[in-house]
Amino acid sequence: MVRSQLRFLALVGAVLMIVAACGSTSSGSTAKQVKVGLVTDVGGLNDKSFNHLAYVGLQRAIADFNVKGDVTESKTGDDYVPNLTNFASKGYDLVIGVGFLMQEAVGTVSGQFPNVHFAIIDGAGTDASGKDLAHANVESLFFKEQDAGAMVGVIAGMLEKDKKAPGNTNVISAVGGVSIPPVNHYIAGYKWAATMEDPGIKVLVGYSNDFTDPAKCKSVAQSQIGAKSEILFQVAGGCGLGVLQAAGQAKVYSIGVDADQKDADPSVIASALKKVDVATYTAIKNVVNNQFQSGALTFSIANDGAGYSLDNLQLPSDIQAELDKVQAAIKAGTMTPPADIPA
Amino acid sequence: MPIASVLFAFLVGAIIVAVTRGNPLSAYAGLICGGFGIACTQGENPALQISNTIVFMIPLITAGVAVALPFRAGLFNIGAEGQLLAGAMACTALGIKLHDWPAVILLPTVLVGGMLAGAFWAGIAGVLKATVGAHEVVTTIMLNYVAQWLLRYLIIGGPLQLAAGTSKSLPIGKGAELATILPNDNSLIIFDLPASVYRVHTGLVIAVIAAAVFAILLWRTSLGYEIRAAGQSQKAARYAGVSVRRTIIVTMLIAGAFSGLAGAVQIAGVDHNLTDKYFSDTTGFDAIAVALLGLGSAVGIVLAALLFGALHSGGSVMQADAGISSSLVLVLQALILFSIAANFLNAIKLRIPGLGQAPSAPAPAGVGAALMTEAASAPPEQAGGT
Repeated sequence: MVRSQLRFLALVGAVLMIVAACGSTSSGSTAKQVKVGLVTDVGGLNDKSFNHLAYVGLQRAIADFNVKGDVTESKTGDDYVPNLTNFASKGYDLVIGVGFLMQEAVGTVSGQFPNVHFAIIDGAGTDASGKDLAHANVESLFFKEQDAGAMVGVIAGMLEKDKKAPGNTNVISAVGGVSIPPVNHYIAGYKWAATMEDPGIKVLVGYSNDFTDPAKCKSVAQSQIGAKSEILFQVAGGCGLGVLQAAGQAKVYSIGVDADQKDADPSVIASALKKVDVATYTAIKNVVNNQFQSGALTFSIANDGAGYSLDNLQLPSDIQAELDKVQAAIKAGTMTPPADIPA
Repeated sequence: MPIASVLFAFLVGAIIVAVTRGNPLSAYAGLICGGFGIACTQGENPALQISNTIVFMIPLITAGVAVALPFRAGLFNIGAEGQLLAGAMACTALGIKLHDWPAVILLPTVLVGGMLAGAFWAGIAGVLKATVGAHEVVTTIMLNYVAQWLLRYLIIGGPLQLAAGTSKSLPIGKGAELATILPNDNSLIIFDLPASVYRVHTGLVIAVIAAAVFAILLWRTSLGYEIRAAGQSQKAARYAGVSVRRTIIVTMLIAGAFSGLAGAVQIAGVDHNLTDKYFSDTTGFDAIAVALLGLGSAVGIVLAALLFGALHSGGSVMQADAGISSSLVLVLQALILFSIAANFLNAIKLRIPGLGQAPSAPAPAGVGAALMTEAASAPPEQAGGT
């Protein structure tokens, strides 16, 4: 009995060694390297959205500077604190938390490691009651999502005004994940710009109360389509992919969010971009150049940290001209999209 | 059998890593370092890794017991997650409403409140099973959804919401918090790191007690005898004078109390508030795997919870050190379950002479059979190894 067990173990060991020999190792380190640890939220690296973009920013920094970058994906919300702590305890120079959901974890861990720099996308380091702890080692990377929302709002409003939308119902909509500031900023800019272009337009707003499950967003989208919405703006991360699908099935238009979602569904006519890659790259660059600054860094159209992409629809030239005009005005500060959803 | 299943999973996992151009040895070195704090190559702090593993292990023990107990009564409790959420919600609600009570009263109140809420949640499924015969697999799964949506309501727009625009609750009162074993102090340095990074809390003691209570209840009380009797054969149990209906309801109530306790301890010991992370919590589902891998025995559940806790904690270190996606951990967990469920290791052994002795009896097929044969041979702790 015991012998047979040993033999089985030996067999397992032998196979493991053979398998190991097939693998590859790579390691290399040079002096004066800046070590950067990136912790994703539960969306994971393949979210086609801001976790992915943060990774793109990290890769660009690795290419440009002497940076060693490591990534950990959080599988559940329970992983945020241990994942951030792991990098901090190993003496990383900069630990980046991706996403609003990590605020409390960054607040806790940044207090424990005052000598490690932290950056957080879309949030600050807070305590349990949501109060910003304003630790000197935390940099908050915020976005004016309303800038990007306004650009796609211009497209939606102009399409309705020009009667170029699928059914010309004069109704458009937005599906938010949860009613939190970054989501509402997008919707605020969208509604504001669409109403500016076409004052008679009706803008429906719904929330799925979810960021991950496409089925939940799909049902919200379908009820909006039932209420004659024909351009749907998704602001719900992975959940929002259900909005794009629902629009595709109903042969109406949809608008993607955060990253260019052209390939997610043929119905995507444009995407509102939040350039998390630019923000991540900037945060790393600041540490490399010893220019880390605590507090808020805001990314907007003015510093190329927000914008839009045109996707599966050829826009008429007057809409393109209007987009250029509005973008220039926002950049110059003569137009300011609101942060709160207009009534 | 369980040890072979784990080895099998790691073997297949190694092949998967190698095929995807990773190095299985460095992957597993990272996993072991992150799980147990040994053989760390990249400057990880061993004490921190062990602490993280224990924090993940605590709810898995209590929730694992909540799955294992109904197993013994022939019930498949898929609803540990919903019961855990019910316990977490009750604990949070009480911890907020009664936040100014002294700790000696408040802490027991929130924990017992969580147990009652979990018992109520599981009791619904138990009563439905005992009275109208509604299958507990269906009802407990459905109750998971009800609990999840209730949670969403409570912290998004509902009475427990912290403030408009947030998706979390107010924090519970200080008196409702379970103490950490080391002081929660940023300036005290223990094992080279601030003491506050070690999050192991006194819920560990509660979890171990829960496992002991489970073992005593099952093997040293008449109720435990009735549970086992009902699980083996309802007809025989009825003939022996056991009220099967009553046993089903009582079993589910106790199981729900364990799950609810797991949720309450998680709130009181780790989180101190309900957050949106509970939308994607999987503890109650991992507990099913823990109960199966632990073969439904108390010691087995603790060991299986330790393994799953170590895998959870180790996955992050593996990804940071070896660049292997921490999703590999989910693959390993699935492979462990798969090989236990399929029980095909016995079949392999039959074909390879010398690898194991041929079983004298026909190999039992499937999870249920494995548990039944195991259940028949008391005491449970000895039936594990092959």
